[in-house]
Amino acid sequence: MGVVMPLQEAKKKESFKQVTRDDSTDLALFVRTSEEDIVGWKRQRIVDALLRETFIDRDTAERISIDVEKTVQTSNLKTVTGPLIRELVNARLLELGLEEARRMHTRLGVPLYDVDHLLVQHNKENANVPHGPEATNLTLAEGIKKEYALLHVFTTDVADAHLNGDLHLHDLGFIDRPYCSGQSLEYVKKFGLNLPNSLAMAKPAKHADVLLAHMVKFAAALQSHFAGAIGWDAVNLFYAPYLEEMSDRDVKQLAQMLIYEFSQQAVARGGQAIFSDINVYWEVPKHFVDVPAIGPGGEYTGKTYGEYEKEAQRFAWALFEVYKEGDGAGRPFFFPKPLVHITEKFFKTEGHMDFLNHICEVASVKGNTYFVFDRGDTAKISECCRLSFKLEASDLEDAKEPWRMRYSALQNVTINLPRLAYKAEGDDTKLFTLLTEQIKLAAKGHEQKKKFIEKLMALGKGGPLAMLAMDLDGNSYLRLERCSYLMGMVGLNELVKVHTGEELHDSEASLKFGLKVIAHMNIVCNKMAEQMGMKFVLEQTPAESTAYRFAKLDMAHHPEETAKVIQGNMESGEIYYTNSTLFNVGAEMSPIARVEKEGLLHPLIEAGSITHVWLGESSPDKEALADFVIKTFRHTNNDQIAFSPEFTCCLDCGKTGRGITDTCQYCGSEKIDGITRITGYFTKISSWNKGKLGELHDRYRNEERFVRK
Amino acid sequence: MTLFTKPDCRLCDQLKSKFDLKGMKVDIEVLDTGDAGALAHLAWHGLVEVARKTLPILVLDDSSTVEDFTDIESLLMSRADQCGLKYNDSTGAAILCETGTCAIN
Repeated sequence: MGVVMPLQEAKKKESFKQVTRDDSTDLALFVRTSEEDIVGWKRQRIVDALLRETFIDRDTAERISIDVEKTVQTSNLKTVTGPLIRELVNARLLELGLEEARRMHTRLGVPLYDVDHLLVQHNKENANVPHGPEATNLTLAEGIKKEYALLHVFTTDVADAHLNGDLHLHDLGFIDRPYCSGQSLEYVKKFGLNLPNSLAMAKPAKHADVLLAHMVKFAAALQSHFAGAIGWDAVNLFYAPYLEEMSDRDVKQLAQMLIYEFSQQAVARGGQAIFSDINVYWEVPKHFVDVPAIGPGGEYTGKTYGEYEKEAQRFAWALFEVYKEGDGAGRPFFFPKPLVHITEKFFKTEGHMDFLNHICEVASVKGNTYFVFDRGDTAKISECCRLSFKLEASDLEDAKEPWRMRYSALQNVTINLPRLAYKAEGDDTKLFTLLTEQIKLAAKGHEQKKKFIEKLMALGKGGPLAMLAMDLDGNSYLRLERCSYLMGMVGLNELVKVHTGEELHDSEASLKFGLKVIAHMNIVCNKMAEQMGMKFVLEQTPAESTAYRFAKLDMAHHPEETAKVIQGNMESGEIYYTNSTLFNVGAEMSPIARVEKEGLLHPLIEAGSITHVWLGESSPDKEALADFVIKTFRHTNNDQIAFSPEFTCCLDCGKTGRGITDTCQYCGSEKIDGITRITGYFTKISSWNKGKLGELHDRYRNEERFVRK
Repeated sequence: MTLFTKPDCRLCDQLKSKFDLKGMKVDIEVLDTGDAGALAHLAWHGLVEVARKTLPILVLDDSSTVEDFTDIESLLMSRADQCGLKYNDSTGAAILCETGTCAIN
């Protein structure tokens, strides 16, 4: 049975046939293509692209191509480029209401104006990225991958939530890699440097300095496959079997090489030093005591790690001697960050007070030391600004073969807490309902990234994540099934202020309400983890740029409410929300009160927290700091603390002075730069974003609280 | 006085059936039920890590805490005596959790 076509439609069809018959009369135009070629105009290319990239039918594709061809013909264009044609096609798709097709057919890229600026201006999104051609490459690539992620990896609701600042999907520019990685040096010791894409394979190192070379190169390779931090577990212990025959002088030299190698890696990805962490123990952690030690050549030494305590301590001591001296100009090393684990066993290990004083002196003089508190039977690998992977029973089983100890957080999603309070308008039920919805949305975003990474990992050794798919020990390097998914938060302090009228430090009631918010997040995360079979864990987001981004977006979208609680200086635009669950950085609190009260929140944040003690220009006695550390361990729940001094380094005479000053304390030059801790690491203040500069001005320095030298 | 408990906690149940906790004016906080208030209260007392290892936990009016089951039991017996309330001695004598359920997840 035939179909009777309406007259008007039949006419349209006829006209369409006539135009399509004119295919041979392709324009005498040349098109600059994306493949760096100049080719003759071919309308068919538009059709082909539409059919290849979208789900629209051939007739519609033909029709659009004809319309675009007409536009080009009548516009008298001198130059036609591939991107221009695509823009015209996209405009036509929108006119036809084909929004989904337009989205699929979109072109990712960067405006000429932006690139022009980018090439000369410093991008301050991450203070760890210097300014240079490599950094520009990184920023441009990140820009395109970010667009790709928001268009193609995440669903519209998740992407929109990111774009409008309800939440923040971290490291979108690194969408095709996991977030961060914590591992053991044992992998390199056992398997050598055997990377899938490397031009040469190196057998396990026979000498300590070669092991160091392997470690640094492996870290650089990992930096190319993870967005964030690269952490190493029990570094001093795992080096120990290589140190037996070495003199103290040689051990110090090795320590110096290790720290310089990592701190001078400004030749890696985007000119960015590897964000590296080394976990250090004074004692031999319980879970390594009976583990057979691997020594030179990847061979077992016949001893257990328990027998290498003295060598491990020698190396730990030497590392901190180097940190104390600082770099060639006396400045603190920015990387690798040394994370010292304070445990019950630490206090039972001979020489612990001397070592504690030693690392506290470094904390006072240079600020490097991070004190990680593992109370009771807790064991963890720490890295990044505060992230830690608590070792569970299966992990402790892995510890028998430590090269298996590889942990990763696949992604970090941070929730804008103050905005929820604006929307809740003082209603508890509404606030907790909104918070639950945001966590669910964040979980959805995590699931989408997981699927994307799974897809890339499935390509195996021929795929882009070949290194993470390598299976030298029978499992892929990235153990996807063991990955965690971070749920971060920014601005608990401002949420509480909006909702209760007080900041976290103001009263017991406000702190208790803050605890309830984080407890709720903890509970919802656990429920989502059970439902979705993914390990969702709370982490205090470092929020180097997120605290600024959320503040700016909220000033734009909720100006009245935001103006009442925003931190910083609105006139200069140096505004920010308080990081994660931290108290107001300007609150005049004793350091122990801050450590104790902020620490009440820490056990609910299972993937890591920190309290900063801002020292300003003071240099406390090492004994005073050691006493502080012991009290923190014994009498608080605080997860991790760091003491942050400030420095001014002169760009003329090269000397470094204490405190942040307007001129050089030695030569009076005004060409100076400040150095202090931005969030979880030291860096130059000139590279900070406006929000962080606002925070720096507000920080309450505990200069009177410790006994001065 | 607050007793932190959770469902399916044998030791918690033992105390609940032995004592008239309400009559003794002992507040009961039930964890692991999705009650953020209870978890926040636990965190306020700095007991989250303790509760991950053992429950029940008794927090006294002066904010000191008692984690040992036998000590909790004897303190509650004293409290019951002070309140003139009897307690049930036939509820079993377990002082250790053998199933691992007497702790929060």
